[in-house]
Amino acid sequence: MSAPATYDAADGARRLQRVAELLAEAVTPQQVLDAILNDGVRAAEAHAGAIGVLGEDGKTIELLAQRGYDPQVMSGWVTFPLDAELPMSEVLRTGEPVFIASIAERNRLYPTLSHLGQEGHALAVLPLAVEGAVFGGLSLSFDRDLEFEPERRALKMAFARQAAQALARSRLYAAEQAQRKRMTFLAEASELLASSLDYNRTLARLAQLCVPGLADWCAIDMLGPDGEIERLAVAHEDPEKVRWAYELQERYPPDPDAPRGVANVLRTGVAEFLPTIPQELLDEALGDDEELRQIVEELGLTSSIAVPLNARGHTLGALSLVTADTHPPFTQADFELALELARRAAVAVENARLYREAQRGANAAQALAYVADGVVLLDPEGVVRYWNPAAEAIAGVSEEDAIGRPVAEVVPAWATLTSHVPLVAPGSPARPVTVPLVHAGQERWISVSGVEFARGRRVYALQDVTEEHALEKARSDFVATASHELRTPLAAVYGAVRTLRREDLDLSEDERGQFLEMIESEATRLARIVDQILLAGQLDADAVELEVTECDPVEIATRVLESARTHAPATVDLRLDADGAPRISCDEHKLRQVLVNLVDNAVKYSPGGGLIELRVHNGDATCVIEVVDEGLGIPPAERERIFEKFYRLDPQQTHGVGGSGLGLYICRELVERMEGQLSVESEPGKGSRFRVELPAR
Amino acid sequence: MSNPIRSAPLRRSRTVGGRRLWHCEARASAPGPSSRGHASRGLGAAGARRVLVADDERAIRLLCRVNLSASGMDVLEAENGQNALEVAKRERPDLVLLDVMMPDVDGWAVARELGEDERTREIPIVFLTARADSADKRMGQQLGGVGYLVKPFDPVAIGDFVEGVIERVERGEREQLTRGITASGDR
Repeated sequence: MSAPATYDAADGARRLQRVAELLAEAVTPQQVLDAILNDGVRAAEAHAGAIGVLGEDGKTIELLAQRGYDPQVMSGWVTFPLDAELPMSEVLRTGEPVFIASIAERNRLYPTLSHLGQEGHALAVLPLAVEGAVFGGLSLSFDRDLEFEPERRALKMAFARQAAQALARSRLYAAEQAQRKRMTFLAEASELLASSLDYNRTLARLAQLCVPGLADWCAIDMLGPDGEIERLAVAHEDPEKVRWAYELQERYPPDPDAPRGVANVLRTGVAEFLPTIPQELLDEALGDDEELRQIVEELGLTSSIAVPLNARGHTLGALSLVTADTHPPFTQADFELALELARRAAVAVENARLYREAQRGANAAQALAYVADGVVLLDPEGVVRYWNPAAEAIAGVSEEDAIGRPVAEVVPAWATLTSHVPLVAPGSPARPVTVPLVHAGQERWISVSGVEFARGRRVYALQDVTEEHALEKARSDFVATASHELRTPLAAVYGAVRTLRREDLDLSEDERGQFLEMIESEATRLARIVDQILLAGQLDADAVELEVTECDPVEIATRVLESARTHAPATVDLRLDADGAPRISCDEHKLRQVLVNLVDNAVKYSPGGGLIELRVHNGDATCVIEVVDEGLGIPPAERERIFEKFYRLDPQQTHGVGGSGLGLYICRELVERMEGQLSVESEPGKGSRFRVELPAR
Repeated sequence: MSNPIRSAPLRRSRTVGGRRLWHCEARASAPGPSSRGHASRGLGAAGARRVLVADDERAIRLLCRVNLSASGMDVLEAENGQNALEVAKRERPDLVLLDVMMPDVDGWAVARELGEDERTREIPIVFLTARADSADKRMGQQLGGVGYLVKPFDPVAIGDFVEGVIERVERGEREQLTRGITASGDR
């Protein structure tokens, strides 16, 4: 190609205009580079061009792209120092273009380039600057020597300015795109992290999200409670590789004390970033294991990031990202993204843990608020730290008045209450002790158990067992009473037999008759007491069967009275008052049992004798049978309780009249099973009136 | 205290006058010959032992009456607490066999009142009751009882038992007897 003698500035301007249009259309850095190096270089009548930019460190120049040069030669110029004695370095340092007319001049000005030989011609290196800031250089090589006239220089500079602007714009665009991609990724990740409180699953999904967009490999490892490394997730686009990675992990379990990598990050909480993985590091890690070396080489790992999941000063785990065959090595921006991602993941994990703890706390508080047992927590100084509503109810002290105060002040009887309560170690079976507690003049029985834990802290469980205690007492009283009731007739039977067999006594016929009669009647009495105990048991088990027939209540009452007269004391006057009562449907035997019991009671509680009347009359569609006496009567407070099982009137109040404590319980149960009602009216000292009301037929 | 439910060596005896005695419970002395082993107990001119049986159970009174009479004792009876106090104060028997659970005034109250009265304070009381609790025995002890028999008891041995108690009280062993009520293995 021959050069025109004079430079056609107008033609140059036209060509430049066309390049400017192409540059304006280019969007991505690659499109811009293509426009500059293909169309631009041709328009500038150059045969080769190259673009270098200042590296991130500000000390090196990276060759971004070139066209037309010998790749062999250019492979030595991937990066070179800013302070080198080279035209591009000089342009970036000074911001001024360098125009070199010939190789001879080049070699003169830049002796370091003289080894490249005498081939070549003119050379222009132009600064790429935006708003006065130089960020790179554009070198143009020509296939002839050139004197760079002012117009030519001006045009080349104009081309460089347009190229710089287009390049800067596209790089900004690319950076913005990358940033947007990161932001989108972060937003997606954040959404994912906030989506669930099951952070194990969330983190596994996060790892999945990282590949292949952010890295080729992603792994998440958590620190176990005992400092062990627990691999939570491994992600790779290829599930086969993931399986393989897990196998690898099993065969080569991580060493928690390893000086580098995940173990180190988990230990120190400090991130690691390897933009390139140095071979010596791999050698060090692989040692002599040829198989492993082969595996790792096959993986083709290029760069890695390991960032800790730190929250509240603790390292919870680590996020590892690795580039291999497909993803370009990590940049500082990737590292920063990873840090941000880890920060957000850590917050999410911590929040989930806190939430879970809070939830657990809330559940525990709810359980403690509603449990029927009083729960009291004391610190080593005996100050109340927790006091639940049941404890309020049992001790009669509100939570407000209890918390923060010594328990001895809150409940003055506390020391007495708990003095016999053994404090067991956590996990040991509780050893509750039942003790009486008097508050507001009422005695309550409290089952107290205590556990001591965490250096002198004590938790007590209080259970109000007043009712159980009363029942238990009634039960043991019943046993005592029943045994008493059995002992007396037994004494009579045994004594009569012993006496009858006495050989040294000559008993008269009359006396023998009396003893035999005694044996008979006392044995009958024994049988009746035993029957009552059995019947009460059957009523409890709901195993009493009724034989309901139609019967005449007056007839039943008459027979009950006849039988009662035979053994009632002479001081008692037994009478029947019946006026045309209706017939009823009932179990005749059971009704008789009820009436016998009521009449016997009337006799028993009339120690001074008097009138006992059995009244049978018409009610409101009912038959009413009443047993009325003039005996001791029943104090008002006892009137309902006498129907309770095992309940007996206070011997002090009844002057020692014994009974099994079952008679009235059985009566009421039987009457109610016959769809009737049994009630009592009484005036102490004047007598009682027991009223059986049964539906008329 | 020895177990009262055991067979005592039986003495030759007849039921002379025993029946009469039942119906004149408050009478001071028993009519008829009193030759049933009195000499062997060295009572001689001092006359028969007089024992008050206070129990609301007719059967128990009958048993005690027949068997104590067979041992040559005069038996007084009371069918409730109030009656027991009246007879004890009037007749001042040699010993009271006292039931606890009686209508009106119970045995504890009877023992308390007898113990508080100058005239009856010295009368030995033996509780004869169905109440077998140790708490009841302690109660009997506190009230100054010299014996505590739990029903059922052996009426055949009752005469010897009562005689033994009276003799020991006479020998000044009242306190040992009282202490013995709650001795282990006691019933």
